[in-house]
Formats: sequence, C-alpha cells, structure tokens
Amino acid sequence: MSDGTPTARRARLEPLLAAARSLLDAASERGALARTRLVASTGLSPQGVDFALRRCLEANPSEDELLALLAATPEVPRANVLLSANVFVAAHRAIAIALAASERVFVRPSRREPALAELLWEATPGSFQLRSELELEPGDHLWAYGSDQTLAEIARSTPQAVTLHAHGSGFGLAVLGNARVSATDLERSLLGLAEDVTLFDQRGCLSPRVLLVAGDPGRALELARELATILAHLELCIPRGRLSSEEAAELTLYRDSASYAGELFSAGLGFVSVSPSEQFILPPVGRNLHILATENPLALIANLAPFVTSCAVEGDPALRAALQHALPCARSSRFGTMQRPPFDGPVDRREWSPRVLPT
Amino acid sequence: MNRVARSDELHARVQRFASGDSAETFSGLAQEIAQFQREFSAGFARLWARRSAASDAVELIPGVPCDAFRMTRVALHPESDDQARFATSGTTGSARGIHALRRLDTYRALALRFGRAALLGSNARPRVVALAPRLDDPPSSSLGYMMALFMADFEQSATTDVRAPERWLLDEQGVQLAALERIAERAMEAGEALVVLATSFALVGLLDALEERRINAPADTVVMQTGGFKGKSREVDGELLRRDVARAFGISEQRVVSEYGMTELTSQLYEATLPGSALHAEHRGPPGVYFEPPWLRVVPVDPISLEPVAPGEVGIARIIDLGNIDSAIAIQTQDRVQRTGTGITLLGRAPGAPPRGCSLAVEEFLRARGS
Repeated sequence: MSDGTPTARRARLEPLLAAARSLLDAASERGALARTRLVASTGLSPQGVDFALRRCLEANPSEDELLALLAATPEVPRANVLLSANVFVAAHRAIAIALAASERVFVRPSRREPALAELLWEATPGSFQLRSELELEPGDHLWAYGSDQTLAEIARSTPQAVTLHAHGSGFGLAVLGNARVSATDLERSLLGLAEDVTLFDQRGCLSPRVLLVAGDPGRALELARELATILAHLELCIPRGRLSSEEAAELTLYRDSASYAGELFSAGLGFVSVSPSEQFILPPVGRNLHILATENPLALIANLAPFVTSCAVEGDPALRAALQHALPCARSSRFGTMQRPPFDGPVDRREWSPRVLPT
Repeated sequence: MNRVARSDELHARVQRFASGDSAETFSGLAQEIAQFQREFSAGFARLWARRSAASDAVELIPGVPCDAFRMTRVALHPESDDQARFATSGTTGSARGIHALRRLDTYRALALRFGRAALLGSNARPRVVALAPRLDDPPSSSLGYMMALFMADFEQSATTDVRAPERWLLDEQGVQLAALERIAERAMEAGEALVVLATSFALVGLLDALEERRINAPADTVVMQTGGFKGKSREVDGELLRRDVARAFGISEQRVVSEYGMTELTSQLYEATLPGSALHAEHRGPPGVYFEPPWLRVVPVDPISLEPVAPGEVGIARIIDLGNIDSAIAIQTQDRVQRTGTGITLLGRAPGAPPRGCSLAVEEFLRARGS
C-alpha cells in the first residue's frame, strides 16, 4: 500500500500533468513528435490533432479540480486501466485517475490508438507501466473504457475479486432555449457548438450529436442553415480526418435517411439535419448534427437520459437548471466547452450497467 | 388524375404484371411508380434531387434507407387510409418503424403468387402451421400476416381458421413441441403434406427442445425458414441449421426452403430448392441462392457511393419492389449480397461502423431505444 496521504497522492499526478503540458506546444520537440504520431494513429488531420490537444487535453487543471479528483477516487493497492480506441486525449484523464488511486498503475492502451498513452509513459518514466495485456490480481481495481459491448464482455470475464469501474458509451446533447439573445451572442454560441461537433472527430461520448431547439420548426431550420455554414467554414481551418469505410457507409445511409425524413444541409463534408418528427437516429461520426425543434425539451429528453453523458445549454438559465435536475449524471456545460469538463474524475458520471446490449 | 386514382391504377397494373397478363416491362412500371412517388412524397422528391445520376435507369432509383422508416412515416397517403401498419422488429433490434399499406390486395396477390411457387410441391392442400407467436389483431407483423395468408390459401379449405391457437406454436415458453408432434401425426394419418412456417430462432428452439429426437412427420413436409436470430436464441450457421432441421423432420435438405423478406417490402425472395415446386422447375437453385419474383429486383450497390457494383461483385442490396406503390419503390438495406447467375446470395448484414472510443454507435442507440 502506498503512502496514502493527500500530498503523496497529489504528488503522483504532477509528472503526468507536466508531461501533458509538454505536449501542448507544437513548436517543442515533444509537442511536434506527439502531433506526428497522433496524426498517424488517429486518422485525424494535423489541424484536428492540434485542436484536440489544445482544447481537450487537461494539462492545467485547477487545484480545486485536483482535490475533487482525489476525493472521488478510492485508494487501492493496484490500479489497472483499459483504454478505449480513439478519444485519444482521454488516456490522460484515465491515467490520472489511476495514479490518484494507486502508486502501482498498469495501463493497456488501445491497440488501434496507443500513441498518447505511450507519449505520456515516455515522459514520466516509472510513473506507470504500459502492458499489452493486463494481469489482474485479487483486490485489483480495473478502470475500463469503451463501447457497451466491450464492457459487457469485460464484466463477464473479470474475476469477482477485482473491482470494475466501467465507463461506457453515450452521447452529448445540446439544448438552445428560447430566451432572447443578441445576434452576436447567438453567433458565438453556434460557433462554440460547431467546435464541439468538430471535436467529435475523436469519437468521444461528450460530443454533441443532437441539438434540441426550443421553439418552432422554422427556427430549427434557420439555425440548421447557419450551423451548416459555420461548420463548412470551420472545416477549411480544421479539415476532417479520414473515416473508415464502415463509417463512410454509415454517413451515406444517415444522409439519405435524414434527407428523406426532413431537411438536410451540407456542412462541408458533413451534414446538419432537421426533422419534424421527434423520432431520430443518432448522426454518425463525420461532422454531423441533428436538430429537433420542440416546445418542451424536458419531455423529449426523458427517454434519452440513460444515454446522455453531457448536456450543454444556452439561452435560458431556467432551462439549464431544469435540465441539470433531469440529467443529474450528465456533465453540464455551455456550448464550446462540452469536451472540457472539470478534471474531477471520469468524464462519464453515469453508473454503468449492461443496459444497452443484452448480455 | 388524383393520388388515389393513380395509386389504384398502378396497383391494378402491378397485379396484372405479376399475374403474367401484361405487356408492360419491370423498368417501365418501376419508373412510373418512382415518378408517382416523386410527385406525392416530399421525402422521396428530396432524395431524388440529391442523386447525382443523370440516367433514368431503374437501377439508379434512389433507395429509401430502412432507418427512414424509424424516423418518419414512409407513405404517400394519410394515416386514416391505412389498411395495415406493419411494425419493423428491426434487424438491429432497434426502435420500431412502420410500413403503412393503403391496400392489402396487392400484398396478398404478390405474396401468394411467389409463396405458392416456392413452397408448394406436387402435393397440393397441405396442412400449414407456424412456429411463430399468435397473430395479433389487427396484424402488426408482416411475417405473421403472410403466414396467415399461406395457411388460408395453401389449405384451400372453407373451415381453415387462421387464428386458431393450435396453428401458432410459439409462445413465451418456446416452441410447443407436443402440439407440433400431434399435428404432424395427424397429417401422416390423413395422408396430407405438412408445411411448417418458421423463423430461424424458433427452429433453433425446436431443435433444442427435441435434443436428439425426431418428429414423426410426412415425408413431403416442407419447412419455410426465415429471418435471423435477433438475439432471441443462440446463433446457428445456416447450413447446419438446414441440416439439423431436415434431420429433425426426417426430410431431405431440399425441403427446407429459406425466405428473405422484410417489413419495409411487399414482396419476398425464396430459395428454389423444393423438388416439384414451380420455382425449382425454373431455376433448380442450390441452397443459399435466393430468387426474385418478376416484380422485384435486387441491385447490389456500393455502400458508400450507392452506385451499382460490377456484375458478380458484392454490394449492399437496394431492392426495387413494384408492390411498394404507396410507400417506397426502392428500399436501401444494409444486407450484403452478390448476384450469382440468376439468383442472389445473401452474405449477412454489413457490419455497422465498429464502436470506437466511447461514442454511442448508431446501432447501439437504435437497439437501446427499442428495448
């Protein structure tokens, strides 16, 4: 067992945070190396990798956040981490949680996207160990991240004497209230949302896939048009990376389904869809967003609550409070900050259960 | 001519075409129905406007993805005109969509014509049962409705009661094995043939219940097998299932005939394996190869561009079904297919994008919302 004083646990985090800071500067040797390796492993564009690092890598959390992280994390003999593919910046937070939990940390990076975990390991010698396979022992804790299918398999195969902390899949929801705002403020909000959509190139669970607009369908159409324009412009600065052939096929079917069901606006390589019905399918990866107009966003989210990991609200403080109450486990934010929740524990605060897939 | 009159006229023409009593061509009728749908379906008009093809070739009619049925109503007529609403169970186990039909007579005519051709051998007037849940009222399952049609039509008896519980031999407890054995014995005693209409997962349940036993069934029993497993039973390889089902009934494997259909369609495809059937006489198809009726065409397309693939190459199935007059003439599926001679080989559902990271995959979301 480690020296479990808060000071000792806090000290274990510092090398990792320093390593993260060293990656932020594109001009530094480590920062340049990170960008080269991450572009190769993630499929994101160089600009996309840089944008994700700058916007999502929590290199400078506040002292309050770190204290909250320590308070929320149990101290354990051995902490194991099973990282998911992609959401490459997530490796940093996952390793930080494990270091807060134990001085003996074993990390199995994603086979498809091992680069950030490797970069952090190289910059923090001895801080944690990278493993190609985890060897779990009785009393171990395992933090696992991934799809619900993967987690269900892990839950089935993890020995009972190991404590599993599972964090599954979900999606982010953006909600625009109907309070009157200036054109400038609205434009700023939409740009923030477009940036959140752009960051979904990493395939993360906090990213917005659906925007609920309080009001009539005409307003939703207007916003869709505007968002499509902003996304197209943003794509010129931050090109979308490559999609797998399966993802490209999903995008094609989404395009045609959404086009049949409602209005579809081209947004660079992606799309913004609007449907008059409250039935929708989640837009796939590739810079897409579905917009729904509703007089009552609260009623609409009732069925979605188990899947919502983050909810960003603009335009109505009362609605924000009501949504926080309705989605107590979802991260609450403003547009433009959805993928940057406080560094106080796992981004996904829902209690995982194999609710999505039958096991 | 207004919408209803044009639709009625197209129904009549499609029924004539299906009966072989028409000089019209598949392409001509398909293009007319597509034109009709462009005029009366805003969704289809939008889809048509997006297509890049300059040609009017029937293969290039844009397909309405199955997911569209889950997002909106895919019908040219108002709900008040629905004669039937068939709910999708979802090949993804997903949120349900509805295929609304304004007229059922065309559905009946097309399903029966090809069903008879594929499932009736030399012995007419078989006894028909279904390894499926009892038919609800009104029918919400297109498969259940089709099975009831076959019961009434194949038996050609005025006393056939398609709602009789003893015809529907699947309930919450599983397959009613004893009831099936009784019916098979009665058919033997009466010198009648037996047709068993079943989903794949019900057949797996039957095999599990039988263990190594066999059913004492007529030698000319025919088993129609359809659908996937949808998480309702263990998955079994198609060839193995055919072999084991044939052994269980003591019949040749040729008498286990697979059907391919989906709620979003009006028509079905079948294997042409049953000796003595009209479809076998025409095609003599091997197991695993499905044949289209003359009023339906499968176009394998590239999953990304949705352009038809070269002959013999694998693509996902766009299905042009002349029966879908009031909904969507072309349905874009995610089922991988390959044209094999005059038939179609099914290669399973195209995998959705594999889950990467923690984002919720489209299919997971659909599945979860449907649960």
